[in-house]
Amino acid sequence: MSQPTTPTPSDKPATIKIQVDGREVEADPKQPLIRACHDSGVDVPMYCYHPGLTPVGSCRICQVEVAAAPGQPSRVVAACRTPVSPGMVVQTDTPKAHETRRECLEFLLKNHPLDCPICDKAGECDLQDYSFNEGQGKGRSSEPRRKLEKRKSLGDVIVLDEERCILCSRCVRFFQDVTHKPQLTVSGLGSRSTISTFGDKPLTGNYQGNLADICPVGALTLKPFRFQARVWNLSKSLSTCAECSRGCSITVEALRGKEVKRFRPRFNAQVNQYWMCDTGRFAYAPVTQPLAPAGSALGGRLAGAAVRGYGGLELVEVEPALAEAADILAAHPKPLVLLSPFATQEEARAALELCATLGVAARFVSPAPSALKDDLLNTGDPCPNRRGLTELGLAPVEPAQARVELAQARAALLIGERIQELLEPAELAKLPAELRLVVFDVCAHDLPALDVAVGAPTHVEKSGQWLNIDGHVGVLNVAVPPPAGVGPLERTLRELRAALAPSAATR
Amino acid sequence: MVIVQRKELTFAERLYLPEIFRGLSITFSKFFEKPITRQYPEEPLPTDEVTRGQPRLVVKDDGNIACVSCGMCEIACPAYAITIDGGETDRQIEREPKRFEIDMLRCILCGFCEEACPKDAIFMSNELELADTTRRGLVYDLEKLKRPKSALQPRIDYVYRINKRWRSKQP
Repeated sequence: MSQPTTPTPSDKPATIKIQVDGREVEADPKQPLIRACHDSGVDVPMYCYHPGLTPVGSCRICQVEVAAAPGQPSRVVAACRTPVSPGMVVQTDTPKAHETRRECLEFLLKNHPLDCPICDKAGECDLQDYSFNEGQGKGRSSEPRRKLEKRKSLGDVIVLDEERCILCSRCVRFFQDVTHKPQLTVSGLGSRSTISTFGDKPLTGNYQGNLADICPVGALTLKPFRFQARVWNLSKSLSTCAECSRGCSITVEALRGKEVKRFRPRFNAQVNQYWMCDTGRFAYAPVTQPLAPAGSALGGRLAGAAVRGYGGLELVEVEPALAEAADILAAHPKPLVLLSPFATQEEARAALELCATLGVAARFVSPAPSALKDDLLNTGDPCPNRRGLTELGLAPVEPAQARVELAQARAALLIGERIQELLEPAELAKLPAELRLVVFDVCAHDLPALDVAVGAPTHVEKSGQWLNIDGHVGVLNVAVPPPAGVGPLERTLRELRAALAPSAATR
Repeated sequence: MVIVQRKELTFAERLYLPEIFRGLSITFSKFFEKPITRQYPEEPLPTDEVTRGQPRLVVKDDGNIACVSCGMCEIACPAYAITIDGGETDRQIEREPKRFEIDMLRCILCGFCEEACPKDAIFMSNELELADTTRRGLVYDLEKLKRPKSALQPRIDYVYRINKRWRSKQP
């Protein structure tokens, strides 16, 4: 999106001073009042307001008491549609403000079904939270709740529950303001209003998943995540999306700390704002691969290491496998070393040290850009750490060229997550069996040339850094533990270097 | 150190046999009283709706499980005995448990799950016996936990009666 900018004093927007709950705070005159309240640490509830979208003031839950100046008469206004003015006195915690919010909530809850036990949003639902804070315990309405469609499919990604919808129109504005291709609208009148697509066509585009994030209630839910987990059982870790060189900041959410269930965008003003694309959002198949069946190195994650014996790949401990790899690399001068573009800076540095010991130059596999490129977030470049690896002095190499060089090499070392997928296992299987191939990857493929395979963690199982296309640091954290027997790739590389040159490896 | 002062025995006590017979007379008199012990496995303890036995899941009269896998009992369980994984159904109620496990070795029979359940789906039954030869066999799954609603009805009525302040109407 935007180029990185370092704020300088002159860049800073001119601020004005207003009073919020008795404290003098600075406010940006271009932003609505609710932003000034949130920035000063005052919690004003919101449903229709979203900091990334145009405010419309349709839900009225953000009402606060405002006076033009101290001593002036005050009135209750919607904070998301009120501009700030100098000397304004804002009170969010008065009986009058609470009363208007309570009345507003009563209207919103009039038709909202009581299916929190079933709803996927329960636990991260704004309506639940504010009802608990501001609402009343009992409903006064004796009318039945409206009956609408509970399971309306809006394309491949999103399911709409019309009963739960509170018509905040965040989803409508998302397509207007963010993707600039309007696809949703509020149709119908009064209590029969519903969210619908134009002509009831399914939603299109690569950004539909964001609707489930911005929906303040459980009306829009993700099909792949539907009923998969209760959100309070998800452990959340800060991470970076791996699917393109944009490197969107994400949260990896794992059920009971073990099984990755969801990737969600995390606010990063300089990279992805509040959004992420569906390609990255649903890219958890590579990190939820099952383990290889017991006693086998193939057909799943490689936990530990495998070396080629007389009967094919045999599972061994990591240490003898690294000794075997060191023998192969020492016996064949100038082996070919290729890195995965998923390698972190830390892994790349360890690989460069190893290459210095071997006396060769390391390069990284750089597949051609995909057709997923768009003008919003996705760069189409499937190398999340292209910039970082380039800055460390690694040259890119096309997969086709890499395979040609592999076919001519006598020994080769492939390092990092998904490197075999990027080089295409079917093509790698055609490599001559004389090639001595050492692979550090998350799984081992059935390649005739493969001599040593050592398991590596996926990007949700390791900590490290990537540099995105604009040079922003994307942080990776351990979200789920790697399978038993899989250590950090840096350590594997250092151990290999120590096995190759015991005197050179001081660490 | 404590020096125990033994009681000086009287002449009658030192005769020995009268005291033996006095003791035996108590023993033999018990033969003719009603026994207060119970031949447990053959004669089980009577239970009623107040008995807080093992938790069981309600199967409604239409044959569907009442549980919607909301996870309230899982989070209320102080012993972390309950594990639930939900899934989608085609019924009006869109969610049902695909996996519902209670580790009966962890369960402390506190009844918090019964109290937490918003759907009247889990109740403390009058089943008390718990034995198996493996630990895995005592992790009860859905099939072992399901009970028809009629079997749990006395307990359901009792829970409504004692909690009538907030549990107003039965579905």
